[in-house]
Amino acid sequence: MSHKPRRFISVSSKQEALSQLNAHGEELQVLAGGTDLMVQLQQSGQRAQGLLHIENLPGLRDIAGNGETSIGALCTHRQVVESSLLDDYRSLRQAAAQVGGWQTQMVGTIGGNICNASPAADTLPPLLVHDARITLSSQARGTRVVALEKFLLGRRRTDRRHDELVSGITLDKPLQRSSDIYIKVGRRSATEVAIVGLAARVALDEHHRFVEDVRLAICSVGPVPKRLHELENLIKDEEISEGLLDEAGNMLLKQIEPIDDVRASKKYRSLVAPRILRQAISCCVNNVPG
Amino acid sequence: MKLTFRVNGHTEHLELEGNETLLDVLRDDLSLTGTKEGCREGECGACTVLVNGRAIDSCIYAAMAAHDAEIETVEGLAQNGKLNSLQTAFAELGGVQCGFCTPGFLMMLTALLNKYPNPDREQVRDALSGNICRCTGYTQIEEAVARYLEQGTGE
Repeated sequence: MSHKPRRFISVSSKQEALSQLNAHGEELQVLAGGTDLMVQLQQSGQRAQGLLHIENLPGLRDIAGNGETSIGALCTHRQVVESSLLDDYRSLRQAAAQVGGWQTQMVGTIGGNICNASPAADTLPPLLVHDARITLSSQARGTRVVALEKFLLGRRRTDRRHDELVSGITLDKPLQRSSDIYIKVGRRSATEVAIVGLAARVALDEHHRFVEDVRLAICSVGPVPKRLHELENLIKDEEISEGLLDEAGNMLLKQIEPIDDVRASKKYRSLVAPRILRQAISCCVNNVPG
Repeated sequence: MKLTFRVNGHTEHLELEGNETLLDVLRDDLSLTGTKEGCREGECGACTVLVNGRAIDSCIYAAMAAHDAEIETVEGLAQNGKLNSLQTAFAELGGVQCGFCTPGFLMMLTALLNKYPNPDREQVRDALSGNICRCTGYTQIEEAVARYLEQGTGE
């Protein structure tokens, strides 16, 4: 390990954080719980020029649900798992419960998971399915809101500028007569990075026959988690049948770019992805209330 | 850079470079070697300690992030040379084999029991999902927790 001192700046207010980012943003990496960043820094041998520690900022830890739901960027995964305000976003809670072990969930934050933009980030598929919008602030330009889908640019790349702080996430109100789920495939059931992760929300018409709306998103089969709009268009307004699910599975294989890596082969990912798609849609349809 | 924090009730003042992990500071600067280094990537739980009551993997937690915090390590569990009742249950039920993972299991359970004094079996298993025991003594660990809960929390 290099012994050249590294700058460590701990801030205690949002204004202070924005002021530091405004002055030194290009040299600072933002540190919340650190469960991802600290691993990257140690494994790559790369040294951040400076760390901006925001974990103790007040006011960014709240979850508020009143129509739309908003989640502070510093909410931990454990908070998401345990919050009854997120009862209508089961897929998000299921995903947060599968981010590492409890040690990771107790300090790892939802804002951190978004900004790291890992190809395997568990919370991103359910956030994409709920049309999450990211609120960013900067001292120079104030506040802007950007759709998560546009915010994720590529493998570990986002639209966050160096002087910006992600302060929160807003989720769409869940659709009527709908149900959602996150399904993750890993080699073991805990503390595992996803081989494939898929989130779905399906809404049915008033006769519970046709799909009124469907949203699908997937991770770990490409450089960045993504929505599957083509599949959504295929399934919307249709009645779920074996044939339709087969067709959707085949279409899915054209939308993803699975690779061979230490966790699984490209072949395995290609086999398992259509199966969890089928399982996710079926579970949602069966769980629609009423 | 100056780090001040409390470790097992003692206030400590250290001069750091800023890039140290909490694990390295506990072991190398404070000689608290009960906390173990396993995977060094937040997967195995051997380095679990409590920071303001939250169980975290100290191998991936920046020491400077613990400024002003209250840290509890496995060394803080026994009082006056006497194991606490959770540790005693581990010893009696064979929850310790090679012992390397034990401090991490004890600290994760300490955090769980502080928050949920009467966890059910599923909660215990879920909370321990980030702790790996390569002797695979999980059953004995579960039995030790069950014994501890049966006996009540009286120290």
